Amino acid sequence: MASIHSTSGLEGIRRRFFPTPFQSLLSLLSLALLVTIGWKLLDWAFLSAVFSAEGGPEACRAAAGACWSVIANRWRIIMFGLYPYEEQWRSALACAVVVVMVVLSCLPAFWTGKRIALVWGLGTTLFYFLLKGGVLGLNRVGEEAWGGLALTLFIFVSTCLIGFPLSIVLALLRRSQLPWISRTTGLIIDCVRSLPLVSILFAFAVVVPFMLPGWLQSDKLYRVVFGSALFFAAYQAEIIRGGLQGVPRGQEEAAMSLGIGYWHRISRILLPQAMRNALPATINQFVIAFKETSLVIVVGFFEILASGNAAYGTGQWTFAYVEVYAFIALIYFVFVFSLSRYGAFLERRMAVGER
Amino acid sequence: MPSSRPTQAEPAIRIENVTKHYGSFLALRNINLSVARGEKIVVCGPSGSGKSTMIRCINRLEEHDGGRIFVLGTELNDDVGNIDEIRREVGMVFQHFNLFPHMTVLENCVLAPMLVRGISRSEAEATAKRYLEKVRIPEQASKFPGQLSGGQQQRVAIARALCMQPQIMLFDEPTSALDPEMISEVLDVMVTLASEGMTMVCVTHEMGFARRVADRVIFMDRGEIIEEAPPEEFFSAPKNERTQQFLSQVQTH
Repeated sequence: MASIHSTSGLEGIRRRFFPTPFQSLLSLLSLALLVTIGWKLLDWAFLSAVFSAEGGPEACRAAAGACWSVIANRWRIIMFGLYPYEEQWRSALACAVVVVMVVLSCLPAFWTGKRIALVWGLGTTLFYFLLKGGVLGLNRVGEEAWGGLALTLFIFVSTCLIGFPLSIVLALLRRSQLPWISRTTGLIIDCVRSLPLVSILFAFAVVVPFMLPGWLQSDKLYRVVFGSALFFAAYQAEIIRGGLQGVPRGQEEAAMSLGIGYWHRISRILLPQAMRNALPATINQFVIAFKETSLVIVVGFFEILASGNAAYGTGQWTFAYVEVYAFIALIYFVFVFSLSRYGAFLERRMAVGER
Repeated sequence: MPSSRPTQAEPAIRIENVTKHYGSFLALRNINLSVARGEKIVVCGPSGSGKSTMIRCINRLEEHDGGRIFVLGTELNDDVGNIDEIRREVGMVFQHFNLFPHMTVLENCVLAPMLVRGISRSEAEATAKRYLEKVRIPEQASKFPGQLSGGQQQRVAIARALCMQPQIMLFDEPTSALDPEMISEVLDVMVTLASEGMTMVCVTHEMGFARRVADRVIFMDRGEIIEEAPPEEFFSAPKNERTQQFLSQVQTH
């Protein structure tokens, strides 16, 4: 059995890559190129790289490969930003809480209203008080000192937590029977979508405080999060509206004929089917939202990318920016790649009812 | 002034001078129809004649714009409470089944009784299993609609409507979207239902079914009721020329 497979495999390779002398030459050249690049990368990243933190920048300058000791030396700045050094375990714990919370809410076993509310209520409260402190003997750490991965996760999670329900509300208002409601909602969505996110963040951070009464002025971070949630909601609302349009009219009629009321028609019949239609675009939107958290850099927040800039920008490590960015890219990759794999799992799971 | 209080003498459905426009197009023209409790009505007519529009007005899937409709003594008007009350008592079966594709057959059947009638899941499931047995597909309860044939889906749709234990059933061309070999399994279920005394209004072109089951056959054309007669009279001696023409067309095929 195995020999048949391997010969047919070899035969397949021969037919695909070496059908004519010229194509064989091209295949060999490409292979040589790939091997060279692969070897250089391997050599740079591992074989000639400096891993130990001991030698400091000097050891790196002497070596030919990557300088991972910058990560070993400076990872706390990358991960936690300006958060007070001796309190950074709280920031780490808070990140862990978010990851556990997200993983739990991705499990089908937690998809009941009560459980999901419990997980998110408990998770966000824990996250917030871990970061902020001021209770149970934890020192208070102001929002201006939050940074690194914890800040990135905070902005992402709260953008989704506010933006996603808001997007459903906007999508439902936009398909309202009353023209003045649907048109006004449409106008709001189109206005928000017509502006770049950077300008929205800037407006919420800098301009809005002039227009709000004093008692409404919260910390800049919350205004920025709200701006980012609004932006997310405007796009996601259109995605959900598209999903709703894909649900046949007969579905709502059948529910009406059974006497099922508006809210149950929306929550039990229309939205579950609309979300299934909208799933690929929705996952896309979450991925974009995660990556766009880095834009808060323009209003002076030290999320993970800005913290990375600070980590190598102190003079002695300036040469090691490639390694720092590679490390940050890896962190982004781990989060975004798991998100898209989860999206693929959801699509397979939901396809069960489609057959 | 007609009373809106339900009494034994009050017909199940009373339609008085009803008109309905789609823009400037007149879809229903001065319709008058009274359906007694337990009566079975078959509505036929060429496409675009307003027959679907008429039965969809009975549970307010379409809004009539002139005249009055009473269902079980309650008037259908802008009062949402009345609409809800009527929809609880009127089941409907659609041409394209309209089962909820993201739920199993059993979930399809228990959803409305639990949400609308507020009964417990165990009670709803017991009722659902009884009706699934009645439409002869109890073994499909845990499947999704997409895994069933058209005829099976339509029988589930009938069971789903029956689970609300309605007093009136509306059928809007229930066999028109089915392959020919599946039509009889659906009609058999409808015949059984009729024999148990359900009040039924069926829009259908199945003339054999009309002969067997109907107390009255109604012929509609261009938004009007043209002819109304018991089946034997309707089929043997149609009075109106348009009815004769229609019957000669459906029966030669």
